[in-house]
Parts: sequence; C-alpha cells; structure tokens
Amino acid sequence: MVIPSLLGLPADSNEKQPNLFAYVSLKDTRETVSKKHKSKSEIPNGQICKCNLTESRLVGGVTLAETKLPEPITISSSGKYFGITKHQRLSIWKVPDTETERVVFRKITLRHTKRMTVLAFHPIQRIVAAGDSTGRILIWRGFGDKTFASGEGLVSGKIMLNDEEKPGVRDNDDAGSCTTWHWHSSEVNVLFFSSDGAYLYSGGKEGVLVVWQLDTGKKKFLPRIGSPLLYYTVSPDPSLSSISCADNQIHLLKMPSLEILKSISGIKFSCSLPEGYEGFGSGVAFDHSSALVALRTDNYCVQFYSLFDDRGISEVQVCERNHQPGDDVTVVVTVVALSQDGSMMSTVEVKLAEEGIGGLVCLKFWASESQNKKFTLSTIIYEPHRDACISAVAFHPTRRVAVSSSYGGDFKVWVCNDELEQKDVMLQSSGWTCHVVGSYKKKAITAAAFSADGSILAIAAETVITLWDPDKNVLLAVIGETLTPIVMLSFVGKSEYLVAASWGSKPQLSVWTMSKLSVSWSYMLHVEAVACAADLSSFAALALLPESSKCQESIGTTFQGRDGVILLFNPTDPVPVATWSARKAKGGALSFLQVSRSSVEENISGWKPPQTLLAYMNSDHEYVLFDPNGEEIHELNVIPRKDLVDPEERRQFGYASIYGELPEFELKRDQMSWVPSVPSEKPWETIFSGSSHNLPPLTKLCSAFLESLLEKRTAVVE
Amino acid sequence: MAEDLQLQSHVGKSFPIKPKLKPKARTLLQTPESKYWSSFKPHQIPNLVSSIQSLDFSPNPPHLFAAAHSASLTLFSSKTFTQHSVINSFKDVVTCSSFRSDGSLLAASDVSGLVQVFDVKTRTPLRRLRSHARPVRFVKYPFLDKLHLMSGGDDGVVKYWDVAGESVLSNLLGHKDYVRCGDCSPVNAEMFVTGSYDHTVKLWDVRVENSRSVMEVNHGKPIEDVMFLPSGGLLATAGGNSVKIWDLIGGGKMVYSMENHNKTVTSICTGRVGKEGGDEAMQYRILSVALDGYMKVFDYGKMKVTHSMRFPAPLMSVAFSPDCMTRVVGSSNGIIFAGRKKKKENDEPVVRNFWSLGRVEEHRKPTLRPSYYRYFQRGQSEKPKEWDYVVARPKKVKLGEHDKLLKKFRHKEAFVSVLNGKNPENVVAVMEELVCRRKLLKCVSNLDNEELGLLLGFMQKYSTAPRYSGLLMGLMKKVLETRAEDIKSSDALKGHIRNLKRSVEEEIRIQQSLQEIQGIISPLLRIAGRGI
Repeated sequence: MVIPSLLGLPADSNEKQPNLFAYVSLKDTRETVSKKHKSKSEIPNGQICKCNLTESRLVGGVTLAETKLPEPITISSSGKYFGITKHQRLSIWKVPDTETERVVFRKITLRHTKRMTVLAFHPIQRIVAAGDSTGRILIWRGFGDKTFASGEGLVSGKIMLNDEEKPGVRDNDDAGSCTTWHWHSSEVNVLFFSSDGAYLYSGGKEGVLVVWQLDTGKKKFLPRIGSPLLYYTVSPDPSLSSISCADNQIHLLKMPSLEILKSISGIKFSCSLPEGYEGFGSGVAFDHSSALVALRTDNYCVQFYSLFDDRGISEVQVCERNHQPGDDVTVVVTVVALSQDGSMMSTVEVKLAEEGIGGLVCLKFWASESQNKKFTLSTIIYEPHRDACISAVAFHPTRRVAVSSSYGGDFKVWVCNDELEQKDVMLQSSGWTCHVVGSYKKKAITAAAFSADGSILAIAAETVITLWDPDKNVLLAVIGETLTPIVMLSFVGKSEYLVAASWGSKPQLSVWTMSKLSVSWSYMLHVEAVACAADLSSFAALALLPESSKCQESIGTTFQGRDGVILLFNPTDPVPVATWSARKAKGGALSFLQVSRSSVEENISGWKPPQTLLAYMNSDHEYVLFDPNGEEIHELNVIPRKDLVDPEERRQFGYASIYGELPEFELKRDQMSWVPSVPSEKPWETIFSGSSHNLPPLTKLCSAFLESLLEKRTAVVE
Repeated sequence: MAEDLQLQSHVGKSFPIKPKLKPKARTLLQTPESKYWSSFKPHQIPNLVSSIQSLDFSPNPPHLFAAAHSASLTLFSSKTFTQHSVINSFKDVVTCSSFRSDGSLLAASDVSGLVQVFDVKTRTPLRRLRSHARPVRFVKYPFLDKLHLMSGGDDGVVKYWDVAGESVLSNLLGHKDYVRCGDCSPVNAEMFVTGSYDHTVKLWDVRVENSRSVMEVNHGKPIEDVMFLPSGGLLATAGGNSVKIWDLIGGGKMVYSMENHNKTVTSICTGRVGKEGGDEAMQYRILSVALDGYMKVFDYGKMKVTHSMRFPAPLMSVAFSPDCMTRVVGSSNGIIFAGRKKKKENDEPVVRNFWSLGRVEEHRKPTLRPSYYRYFQRGQSEKPKEWDYVVARPKKVKLGEHDKLLKKFRHKEAFVSVLNGKNPENVVAVMEELVCRRKLLKCVSNLDNEELGLLLGFMQKYSTAPRYSGLLMGLMKKVLETRAEDIKSSDALKGHIRNLKRSVEEEIRIQQSLQEIQGIISPLLRIAGRGI
C-alpha cells in the first residue's frame, strides 16, 4: 500500500482536509475462491486498487492493473509516481495532482526481455531503475516524457524526439534513454537510490551490496555479507542505513564508508545440509542453566540465542571460511555439544571430499572465559577417529572431560589439560588430549552419554548398550540389544533409568533400568529428540507420528499439519504423564530449561513461574517454552524483559556496584543517546560530517544547520 | 561499542588460507637453560698432541686458559682461541696446572714427580718443587693464598708446600691409593679435599697438627675428580659413572647421586647461568664430562640434569671461565672443544656513555628551524608515553598472493602462484580450500604443461610426507588419470613421473621394513605387558 499524499507537501491545517487516497495491491481472494473450480491459472490474482482512507472504502470501479500475483507497489520519494513490476514490464502511474475518486490516470509501460524483480524511483529526477532476474540493472532516464510531461504543462520539443535518439529504449516506450548495468550474477532483490540521488544501491543473492555512482557507473562493494540481501532502507540521517538479510539479520551501515556498525540478529534459520548428512541430528545444543540455545548456521558459525530474551547473544565462527550463498555446501558442522555449565563447547566439522580427495573431519573444543559466551578455540583435533565421522560428543557433567564416539568403531575420552596440570605443574598450555580409546567388538559407536554423576559412561555400539568406567576405561556391563541402531542415549536425571532411542525400520524408544540391567519398557516410536532434566525424575521425548496413524488422524483433523507429539514420561511408568502435539517435528529439538527467578519476573502477573520449562524448537527454528507440569497448556509468551539492557549499560551496573548508585537521570540520558538514530546533542557537528559527495546539497544543509542552531538556543532557554 | 564490533566482526571479513596446525610439543623444545648452554658458539682447537689432561682458567681478565697436553702446557686466549704461549720445560707428561689467585703465576705438575711454578708472562720456571717420588697428579693454589701450594700424586701422599722456600710444610698421609685430584675450599685457605683411587675423599685442614684428615667420605668408585661447590659447604665428587654431592657441614652425608653418564666421569667444574645483573639471579651448575662423550649440566638446586651435549670424542677435562663467557672441554684425542658466548654489543657503549654524558648531548641537539627539512618531520617518530591513549589502527589481515587470487575466484592462478612459492603447507592448504570450493580437479585439468611439471615436482617431493600423503596420494591418482595424454607427450613430465615413481617405491620399502620391525617388537611388548 502506498499513500502518495503523505509524501507530498503537507496541506495547511486550516483548509478542509481532502480525502486521503491510498493505492493498494490486493490479493483477490474472493475471485480466486469462486473461480477455483475452473482451475484457470492465468486468471489474474492480484489487483491494484485505489482506496479512500478517509471514508475507509475501496473506490469502486477503479482497478489500475491486474497481475497474476499481487505485486508490491513502489512509490517515488516525492510521491509523484508509483509503479509495479509486471513480469517483463514496468507499469508506472503518475499520481494525479488533485485526488478525487474519478480521475484519469496517466500510465506508461516500459518493456524488457527478462522478468523484472524490483524497481526504484530517483528522488529528484525522472529516472527509474529496475532489476531483473538475470542480475541486470536497467535505468531509464526521462521516463514518461511524452505522457506525463504534458500534464505538467511543459510543452517541449522532446516529444518530437526520434527513436534513434533514445538509445536502449524498446518498442517506442516513453523514456529518454535506457542504460543497462550488469554485475549481479543472479536476480536483483534490493534496489534503492540514495537520498540525493547520486548513488544507486543494489544487492541480491550473492550477499554483496553494490554502490553504483549513477553518473559514471562506477562501483563500490560491501562484500561477504554472507546471505542474500532482502531489503535496504535509509534513515533520515544520511550517514546511516540498514540492510536486512535472508538469515534473519539486520546490519546497520555507516554510509560513506560502508562499514557495518551493528548487527541485530534474530534466530538463524536451519542450514541446508548436503545429501547423506541429514541424519546428523539437528545441530542444536541447549545450555540449561542460562537458557541459551546454540545453533549451527549457514555461514559456519554457531549462534548463541537467548530463549528468554529472544535475541542473539553471540556468534562463534567455527570454521574460518566465508560462506557464499548459493554455493553447494562442502563443509558441514555436524555436531554441536555444550557442557553442563555452558562453559565448554565442542564442534565437529566435516569437509566433504571432492571425488574422494581431501575429506577431513575436525573436532574442535572451545572454552569461554566467563559467562559472556565468547568462546575461544582451545584445541583442534584433525581426524580424531581416522576418517570416520563422529556420531556424538558428550561432556562430563562436572569435570573437564568429554567423550567422542565415531562410526568407525571406537570412542575416545578427551581430557582437558587443566586437569592434568595439578599433577604436573610444568604443563603450561591448556588443551584437550586423548585420555583413553575404547571400542566394542569393532561396532560403530552411535551414541554416548555420561550419567548424572559422571561415574558411568553409556556407549551405544550400534544396537548394544555398553557401560564403561570413563577413568579406568573398563567395560562394566553390557545391557541388552535393540532391534535397530541406537541414535540417542540419555540418563534420566539422577535416577537409575537410561533412555535409548533407535531409528530405522523398527524405531524404538526404550527405557532401561540400571539396577536390573534390563529393559523396563519400550514403545515403537520414532523419537526425534529426548530431553532429561538433571533434577527431575521425568523425561520428555519428541516423537514423530507414524505414517499410518497420520493418515487416520488426518480424517479426524485432530492433527492438522502436526506431525509430532511431545510426550512427558515418568521412567517408572510407560503411560505418558502429558502429551502435546507439535508441528514440523522432524529435525526438532527438545530441552528442559532451568528457570531462575530473575529471568521471568513479572512476565505474567499472578502466575508463579515454574522451576523448569520445556523448550521445543522445530525444524524451522521456531520455538516455544512451556511449563511441562502445568495443568493447562500455559503457553508462556516470553516477552523480552523490559529491563533488557545493552551490554554497554550492563557495564554501568558494574560501575554502580563499586561506586554506588548513580543518580537516576544520568542513566536515562545514556539510554537515550545510545539509540543510534537519535541525533546527538550537537547536531551542527554531525550535519557536515561524511564525504562531500554524500552530503545533501548545500542549500538543504544550510537550512538544517540554521534550524539546529535555533533548536539548541531554545533548549538552552528552557 | 568494541564489544559490538567484535560481535559482528565475522561479517564482511575475509579469512586467509591457513595451513593445518601442527601439534605442539607437550614440553618445550628448548628450555631457557638449554638455550643458554647451546648459545656458546662452538669452536674447535685441534692438533694438540695426545689427550688434554687438565684445563684451567686464569682468574683475572683476559682469562687465559692453560691446557695440559703431552709434555707441554699451552696458554690460549679465551676470546679468540688462538695460542698465546707454550711452556715446554717439562721432562714428562704434564698432568695438572693451576693459576695463582692473582693470575700471575702458574703451577704445573708432571709425571716425573716435579711441580714447577712459572711466571705466566715470561714463561720461565721460577721454582721447582721436587719431593714426590711418583707422578704428581694434582697441584692447586689454595684460595687467596699466594705462598702455598697443594699437590698430590701416585705415591698417595698429599703435600703442602711453601713455594718461596721450595720446601714441604707438611706431608698429609692417609690415602691408600693414587691421589688423583683435589680442590681447595673457596672460603678458607687452609681447608682442602683430595680424592684418590681408594674410593675416598679426604678433607684436610693444615692447621690440624697430626696431619690426619678431618673428614672422609666414600664414593664407592675410584675418584676421578673432586670439587668444592661455591658455597664451600657442599662437595661434588666424580667417580665411575656417577657424580655425587656431599654435604660437608652436615657431616659428610650424601645429598644426591647423579648417574646420567654411561662411562667414567673424568672431570667436573662449576658453571653459571643467568646474566650478570640481570633479572634472574646467577645460578651455579655442575658441568661434568665423561668418556662417553657427553657433557651434562646438572642443577644441584633442583637435582636435575638441565642440559646435555654430545661431543665426538671421549672427554677428559672441562673448565668454565670466571666471566661466564667461555667453556672449554678437552678430549682424549687432542682436541679442545671450546665455546664462547657472543658478546652483547650494547654493553660497552653504555659504559662509555657514562663518562661522556651531558655536555656532549647538549650542544649536539640542534634547534629546528622551518628552513630545515627535519622541522616538518619532527615528532613523527615519537613513541607514545605510558599514559597516552593509543588509537590503534585496525590490524590489517595479511593476505598472500594466493589469498588475493582466491578472493577473486581466480582458482588456477592461485594454485600456480602457491606452487611457485616455497611453503608446502600453504600449497596443501590451498588444495584443501579448492576441494571445499569443488575446483581442484578443474584446476588440475586446466594446468598447462609447465605448470603441470611444477605440480608433479611438488608431488614428488611431498606426496610421501605423512602429513600430506592423505590428500596428495589421492590427487596424484586423479592427475595421472586426467592428464595421462599430456604426460605421455612430454619428456620433462615423463621424467617427473619417473622420479615420483621412485620416491613412492622408496616409501613403500620403508613402510615394509617398518612393518617388519613392528612385527618383531609387538610380541616382545605383549610379553613385557604380561609380565607387569
């Protein structure tokens, strides 16, 4: 929807308010439903209509255009023109000078041979730029000279121009000239003129922001953004602008230098995996105590995302490579594991071989100094299990010990040298070294888990569960077999139960008791994730609904679109305590989170927060937190806390803790000044900053400058 | 703000290609101490006749040292290791020599039983002390005593001489076998020890009337050398394969026995580590040499051998200069293995500046005028003060040529440029990066003959190295498959292939022999493991 009159000069308030008109792009649902049975695909689905906002109704009978799909309308910053891309054409309308319901629209069409994707109007001159699906940028200068000019009362000789004098313009279209720039290799998504019209910004799937000098066509780049660009916006402050990316991130740019000032990131989407690597789990690890989730992302990072605050905390570059959106994935982060206290992380990355050459498995251990989740690389282990892939990495609950298991048939217990240091003071460098290697009948080790006190290591050798002493590397016991290879093992809290999940043709969720070393009960369920809380005697499992039941249920429409259930079990009892249904459960993850009082304070008045919450994250990285023990499903909408503070201010609390509370008003002012778009207290200092070619014309600046001075004066008087 | 910058720093950043990390050694390759000991620049003084029986440094600069070999005593400069002078007035093999504490006199003993005292400058024998009936094995000036001399010999008698009168003051009896060595206490002019082939070390005090030993310790082996440690309370003895440290004040108790040598330890001396006036305090070490050709540095504070050095001959004697700049080791075949530390250049000028400080600098410093060129450069090389806030320039990522080319997606050029370079690690790292981009095989197929030759040369050199063989062997097969035609048509490439084949065959032979060895060893290990 665009409202041209808002962009124009504001009318005097004394006059009678004219009707406010908007142009809306509609998806004509009514029509499609009625004509659905004819199944004619070419029937136009989108419409451009005019809408009287004052009386809040559509202006009857005015349909400017019909398109197959509803197209976004682009309007020029002066509010004089608006237009849409319509397959291989651009349609541009001129907004009538006096808006009434019945007015004749002037429209021109500019043609091209490729599908157009985006268009942009020049803020001052009559120039329109459009991007197409092959990455070309077309710039028409002087569009509508014939059609629109007469309306402006300009009678000039330009109308009489011959075709030869209109280079690049097709089919006698109404434009002065058309130039084509081609740099992008795939479709252009972002096209925008700078506020003074000297530059054109373009971006696309490559994740490179290109700045074109409009007069010369010279380019400048902001490369390696890492994901396709979606939108670009300039702020009123000419030195700031922002781009949004397909990976749920917004970057604030400092304009003349194209420097990224700040990135605001949402939860990253699940990354695409090459064939044969889908089965490697979801690549999601939860930090129970601080309610963080570690996700692998497309650009070889692990993102730490706070579930309570709903914001990204930090990102760790696991593999020092630049991600090129659109390239096939050749390096995969297969496993992400966090220690119980969240201070250590382990990642496994696999470099895929090119025709059998150069494959590499790499195990990395990371350590964070404090609770700020800034992980630094501690140890790299190349090919930890020869060339076999690692199936799981598990951390010891209390000590700096980890176990990695591989499909190559062995598992290794790794010990951080800090532990050894007590014995030998001479060892200065801290790092992880292999402590013991174990294997069971040369079978592929598919899962590993430490018990709650760390005294027992459970190792799944394909279908057999074996119990080991992690220190002495002694096989303690072998307990029964499942039908298909086990993919997950987990001890249920401090209890004597062990949960195993196996996939394959005969999937199984089985609960084993350690006291009898036998199976306690089991279900024939394909379990996608298992979560156990350390201090709880129950566990939760995310099960995919079997195909057969899905068919039956779909008739009853109980599970509309839902393919999974979350089951809460008490290990002593095979009957689930509670069940919830879930969407997109394949590739989902599940975890219990410990709730500290402070983190959910006063979220919901009159409702006491539970001790533990269950977090469910589906394959699209949408998550929900809920209380597993509540009677009704109390979906906890965790609102970002009001006292959510930026790290900058958090430091002030440290200051305050030393020197006592600062006066209240000072804090507030800091908060204000932190918002980047708010101009600083001395606007006259910033008005002329930036390179001269980027500044608005001096005539504009001068008035702003004087205005700022005047404002300042009044502020002082107050 | 800095935190935020860090947070998003990976956006827009380019990563240079890094080779795989090498495993770090758990222990440092070179401890600071072994670095110190190996910092002595080696120098050989060859062509001396027969074995070097004894080495002794003059206590005052320039620290000449005397080497006793055959029937002569040679003085060397400790700076240049050139021969300073030779004393030849011996009838028989010289066994031992000792400088007086002021460095102007030198006493030397020989097998004929004669002890002579020479003037170091004129080389004339000033005194001849004749009393020993058998070869004299050791002679020594007492600590800060210019008038007396100690000597001991194969007759088992230790004599205390009045040098000026050429007379024996006292005959100290008690050793039942040849007296081979001895040392004077560094804190007392009257106390000294002697070691003998009867396994004992006796502590003498010439003030004691009845000329009996004050204390006696038993080493358990014929004693080759004995020495007071600088504190004067500890004693080190060398005999058999061991060096033992004794506590004299504690009543002759053994403190430690160092048994790191494989053959008889022939000589010991004290050495010092650490800089004079440096942060670390000077620490004393025992240097021991043995017939096995090793010189070991023993830290008797930590009771640990801190450095070990091998020489290609059985070693007979060792000495360390008092200024810590030179150490010399004498071997049995007439070679002196000397070593000298490099002098720090800044030492001397600093001293000189002290004399001429102030006045000179004042009038040297010219006032800068705008007509000088330097006027416009003033202050540019100013170092930041301690309290200055330094605005650091963002660190530039150093990109190699191949990195720049890879950034521009010019894969083949990058590949060729890194092959032209010297570093095999970088070549392999670029190969791995190309694998990640799925471009390696395309690059290989695009190489022209000359570049292919380069690649094959690299392969021949490194494909058998265990670090790279995993990647390179696979790549080599592919190269041979895809470029067979080109290789057949070019003689140069054929030559490369021949070399390659040879190196692979060599590697296979090595592997086979290693496997044989493993086959021999593994049952032994199995048995050994069972025994435990």
